Amino acid sequence: MAQATVVTRGAYHDSVALLTLARALRARPGVREAAVVMGTPANHDLLAQAGLLTDLARTATANDLIVVVEAETAAGAEAAAGATAPLLAEGAPREARGGRARPRTIAGAVRQMPDANLALISVPGAFAAAEARAALEAGLHVVLFSDNVALADEIALKRQALAQGLLLMGPDCGTAYVAGVPLGFANVVPRGPVGLVAASGTGLQQVATQLAGRGRGVSHAIGVGGRDMSEAVGGLMTLAGLERLGDDAGTELIVVIGKPPAPAVGERVRAALAEIGKPAVVCLLGRDVTTRTDGAVTTVATLEDAALAADAALGHAAWQPRPFSAPDVAGRIAEARRALDAGQSTVLGLFAGGTLAHESLLILEALLGPVASNLTGGRGRHRVLDLGADAFTIARAHPMLDPTIRVEMTGRAGEQADLAVLLLDVVLGHGAAADPAGDVAPTIEAARATARAAGRGLAVVASVVGTAGDPQGLAAQVARLEAAGVWVLPSNAQAARAAAAIAGGEPVLDRLLGPGARG
Amino acid sequence: MSGRRGCLVRLSAHLARRLEWTEGARGRVHSVFARAVNVQWRDGRLLALHGPGPLLAPFAAAVDDEARLGALRPDMIVTVESGRLLAPGLGLSWQGAQRVDCALAGPRPCCAGAFAAPAGALPPHAPGLDSPLGRDARAALAAGIAERDPTRLMAGARALLGLGEGLTPAGDDCLVGALAVLHAFDASVITLPGIAAAIAADAEARTTTIAREFVLHALAGRFSEPVLAVLRARSRDEAGRAAARLAASGGTSGADTLHGMRLAWDALAA
Repeated sequence: MAQATVVTRGAYHDSVALLTLARALRARPGVREAAVVMGTPANHDLLAQAGLLTDLARTATANDLIVVVEAETAAGAEAAAGATAPLLAEGAPREARGGRARPRTIAGAVRQMPDANLALISVPGAFAAAEARAALEAGLHVVLFSDNVALADEIALKRQALAQGLLLMGPDCGTAYVAGVPLGFANVVPRGPVGLVAASGTGLQQVATQLAGRGRGVSHAIGVGGRDMSEAVGGLMTLAGLERLGDDAGTELIVVIGKPPAPAVGERVRAALAEIGKPAVVCLLGRDVTTRTDGAVTTVATLEDAALAADAALGHAAWQPRPFSAPDVAGRIAEARRALDAGQSTVLGLFAGGTLAHESLLILEALLGPVASNLTGGRGRHRVLDLGADAFTIARAHPMLDPTIRVEMTGRAGEQADLAVLLLDVVLGHGAAADPAGDVAPTIEAARATARAAGRGLAVVASVVGTAGDPQGLAAQVARLEAAGVWVLPSNAQAARAAAAIAGGEPVLDRLLGPGARG
Repeated sequence: MSGRRGCLVRLSAHLARRLEWTEGARGRVHSVFARAVNVQWRDGRLLALHGPGPLLAPFAAAVDDEARLGALRPDMIVTVESGRLLAPGLGLSWQGAQRVDCALAGPRPCCAGAFAAPAGALPPHAPGLDSPLGRDARAALAAGIAERDPTRLMAGARALLGLGEGLTPAGDDCLVGALAVLHAFDASVITLPGIAAAIAADAEARTTTIAREFVLHALAGRFSEPVLAVLRARSRDEAGRAAARLAASGGTSGADTLHGMRLAWDALAA
């Protein structure tokens, strides 16, 4: 092993830059260890313990930066140490980097791109309102990806946007499509005649991908944030979005996605849709929602049904909701139940998508009874967890990016004696993990093996939100899950129904298919 | 001298008093980062400037537009004059700025239990805290707190100063977190005569200038707004959100601070 050392006197780089430097150095071929620390006495001791306190490092004082690289060859160590300055320069302020300045403010960005008309803001919530205000003042539409924005700020920002004739999408707007451009977590879908207004990111993704699967594209999809249809916000952006889609010649049909609105807001939304006059599908996920058609507006109970109803309306075809489109559902359910023992009757849903979790919870409650969940605080034998909730994402990326929390919980599922079904979602697209199915599949296999070793079966049911054009590839992701023994259904709603039927048995299957329909 | 006029929109009450009492004082730009600038006064103490939002240090001030900080370069002279901070090409008035009390002295937090909730799911801290030196240092600090033993507490603090990764080394962040909980719930051991002075003297010699500033303020009971938000939370949910925001700050600085808070919390309860 060979070592090389760089000591930079009076070096002030923020902690993120130092962490990034250490990772970059360790990732170089042949590098065994890289220490990047300030030259404090304690760090001298730390380096000595690790065998990295070189003579040069001993000369460093508390405000000096020490980089020690240990590599297989002297040349490798020297090359890595030599990369320290350029790697740090990449993270330095613009003045130190030279070349085109990277804007640090909205105003600076507008000066660089005077033709820009939209800003996507993704900063910690405490800073987000100020940045959004700056963007609006610069005449930009705003996609506010940040969450944890105060309600009062949301209302003020939306009023300001409306006064300026702009859209304020969000806060917590995870997904949007503007003139075919995907923003945030978004799947690769074609452009087309369907315009969407959505108070939900993964809900929008589910509908857009289901439409894409039927050859239907999206004109624009406007995310409005989960609170927009509350009484306090009054549907300000939902109504503004509907007005835009009503005026848009490329939008032939409108889909509204969200949770049940405040009554007065719901009335305003329906009045706006009636005034626009275009065919519309309304999917506001709640208990006791039944499919019905009033004039040009069809109300549906699930995200998949929203896409099916839209597809049918565009094709001037008749449509009826049905519980499954997958082949031989009854046979698959019976096969899964045969592997269970008498004590296995519960469902555990581990979701990356909040709205997908909510939809599943509604379906499971309707078919199986009470469901415990962090979405509602409710209690029950069955559980549905939104792993994207704050409690699971402290200092950790969202589960659509970082599988750690779901992998941990999936691994433990094999030990749960009463668990019949593990229910999952897998979300693909821009912004999502590179291989979400591959991330969780080995743990699924391990959990099923654990259950088998204890003399039990464990059914794993999932749906994949994605398209063939997504970077991860829909077919490859489905194949990876199926190879791990997962039953992959065509939609989140179908997956939830299948899970309920496996756990609940004949009474549930009878409710879904009818006693005579099972053959 | 003040070509680009702007203002401070938010600053710590302690810093405001210092500025008001030091008309004519001079400092120099100590360090320039992507989103913050530190100014060092002649007595060695620091002033941090960053963009609008919560104060990220108890010695910080938020400017109305972060872009103004682009005018500052290392070693530029900064002066205090007629209610403004002046530097070549920059003038920042603080007259209308909101004063933020960054001190934990006064009423105890409303919901002591709120802190325990987010602490149950701590994010990963810097590796240096898990080194043999780091483990020994944390154990000594925890024992000093649990037993209200000033000697062991000082030994633990001394071993943590300057230890580990980061411009504010992980050990300093951990110590600051522990001091925050002590100030919030039981300051008896650190307010014993000579304790704070001894730790401050160690900080002078054993850590970076910026980390030392955090430690000196922490010894006096002053903390950044993200730290204060965790300790002032009134519910578990609020504490969880505050902890998440703190954890997301810096490389692992926020996480290291949370670990220090948890260490002190557990030690006080032992």
